Amino acid sequence: MERIILDCDPGHDDALAILLAAGNPEIELLGITTVAGNQTIEKVTRNALAACAWAGIRVPVAAGATRPFLGEQLTAGEIHGASGMDGPELPEPLVDLDPRHAVAFIIETVMAAEPKTVTLVPIGPLTNIALALRQEPRLADRVKQVVLMGGAYAVHGRSPVTEFNIAADPESAAVVFEAGWPLTMAPLDLTYQALATDDVIARFGEIPGHLGGIVVELLEFFSSRYRAERALAAAPVHDPCAVAWLIDRDVFTTRPATVVVETAGTYARGQTVTDFLGQLGRPANAEVAITLDRDRFWALMTDAVARLSRPVT
Amino acid sequence: MPQKIIIDCDPGHDDAIAILLAAGNPEIELLGITTVAGNQTIEKVTRNALAVCTVAGIRVPVARGAAVPLVEPQMVAEDIHGDTGLDGPYLPPSQLELDPRSGAQFIVDTVMAHEPGSVSLVPVGPFTNIALAMRLEPRIVDRVKSVVVMGGAYTRGNVTPGAEFNVYVDPEAAEAVFRAPWEVTMMGLDLTHQALATAELQDRVRAVGGPISRLVLDIWEFVGSTYKRQYEFDAPPVHDACCVAALIDPDAFTTALADVRVELRGEWTRGTTVVNFLDAPGMHHSNGSALAQTDYRTRIATALDWERFADQVVDAVERLTAALG
Repeated sequence: MERIILDCDPGHDDALAILLAAGNPEIELLGITTVAGNQTIEKVTRNALAACAWAGIRVPVAAGATRPFLGEQLTAGEIHGASGMDGPELPEPLVDLDPRHAVAFIIETVMAAEPKTVTLVPIGPLTNIALALRQEPRLADRVKQVVLMGGAYAVHGRSPVTEFNIAADPESAAVVFEAGWPLTMAPLDLTYQALATDDVIARFGEIPGHLGGIVVELLEFFSSRYRAERALAAAPVHDPCAVAWLIDRDVFTTRPATVVVETAGTYARGQTVTDFLGQLGRPANAEVAITLDRDRFWALMTDAVARLSRPVT
Repeated sequence: MPQKIIIDCDPGHDDAIAILLAAGNPEIELLGITTVAGNQTIEKVTRNALAVCTVAGIRVPVARGAAVPLVEPQMVAEDIHGDTGLDGPYLPPSQLELDPRSGAQFIVDTVMAHEPGSVSLVPVGPFTNIALAMRLEPRIVDRVKSVVVMGGAYTRGNVTPGAEFNVYVDPEAAEAVFRAPWEVTMMGLDLTHQALATAELQDRVRAVGGPISRLVLDIWEFVGSTYKRQYEFDAPPVHDACCVAALIDPDAFTTALADVRVELRGEWTRGTTVVNFLDAPGMHHSNGSALAQTDYRTRIATALDWERFADQVVDAVERLTAALG
């Protein structure tokens, strides 16, 4: 059983990560924190609450950082639409927003739990995580591990060499990668293997209940944007990859590496420079995901949606 | 009509193969060799260029070029190429005379002395000489037919995780070459790591016999061992020869247009070629730094027909060996 805090910016794939975390019995979802990323903090927080409402998920949701540590906020409207989660109609929230700031929620939750029992799963820009770490340095020893979606080592997304979550707040990412905690990185190189192809989308359509249909709508919108904007055949469903690995370590292979975040640079600012061969002469600080077992990944995803779709007895 | 080329190099094991391929292929007219500090110091790489010409019976002008990069202090690749820059083969003392001109001056004089659009430059070391030549005589940019460089990468590095040696050693010179309005084709590590001197290729070269075959095999034996140790490769890549091979047989290469910038200001990424492809899944953006990279002029080699490459190398060794008599 993994106890996790999901730090996210929904986001279509973030919504699927929420469903996987809430729907799988191996995961105890302690709470959801939001961060400005794919859209503004207002929009992504509303979307997090909507995702919970679709599936009847009742966990604390706390809103977090409204902007990156330095510079202007980047958004990804071209991929996620004006709402940040275009496609299905967004329902009214089931639960009130937690009154705490996401950073306070993360610190209080981790410090209240036994040491090394809480895993942080950041799948948006790393602003909240870096702020929490600077506000409560003991977090570095206290969390069990960090499993994040972000970065890239050969496949890139945001620019020729960067991925969105890291490019959106390189300084915070640098803090997270230098913190010295056990860290696993699910980069674009991995998540581009988690494509929501038509046969995958169809499997969600076969799940009885309304939730499967919502997932179909999410993935169809998401794929249409990736086809139009990125010339990909289908959308890579990035964020649930991080959650899936916590359920089943065989979902992807990993390789140890030294990852440093370029915070300078004209063209490479925000690049996760990933050193598998010891070229930088620094110790490894991350396990980097390499190869996805697609069948296991999508089986976990459809299983979670099916469980959430069953009537509560 | 053979293509006229100048090879600008820092031999270097794979540089030596590039020289042999250029001299041994009838489609190429090797106008001269210029040397540049890179894999080893300028004295060592120049001596190596002369020695390779001596062993292979190549009689072309050799001009010594820049001893240091434009801005950076010099660095060498002793871990790969050894103390001499061409460790492994026995290299006889050379009786050949150096051209009295500097490498950059030789490039300028040679390009200006030939018809416009008739000379191609093949830089396979740091780009210092090419950048100096461009600034000495700006007209060479219009006059050169094409520039086929070995350098850079888009998914890997060999000095840092993202930077390739030739670009990393002199990033300012490389950026000058990529920004100039001439036709540049880039053979980056992504391509040259496909040009492996496999056991099969080595057997075919061994079958030729003679001193040139011996030279090539000794080169691959040494650099094969350093590549095994440093990079876990099973066979050594013959990086520099790819540029010559592409001029001989362009159809053996798949290429794609891209905007290439050399990162000059990064803390961890200085010397990285940031490559934005005109047409590449996952790399089309409505915003982000890619917006600043829409000068899709550089042709990036992405895939190699290895059989055709191997045939060229064997053919050149055969022809040079026959010419030795």
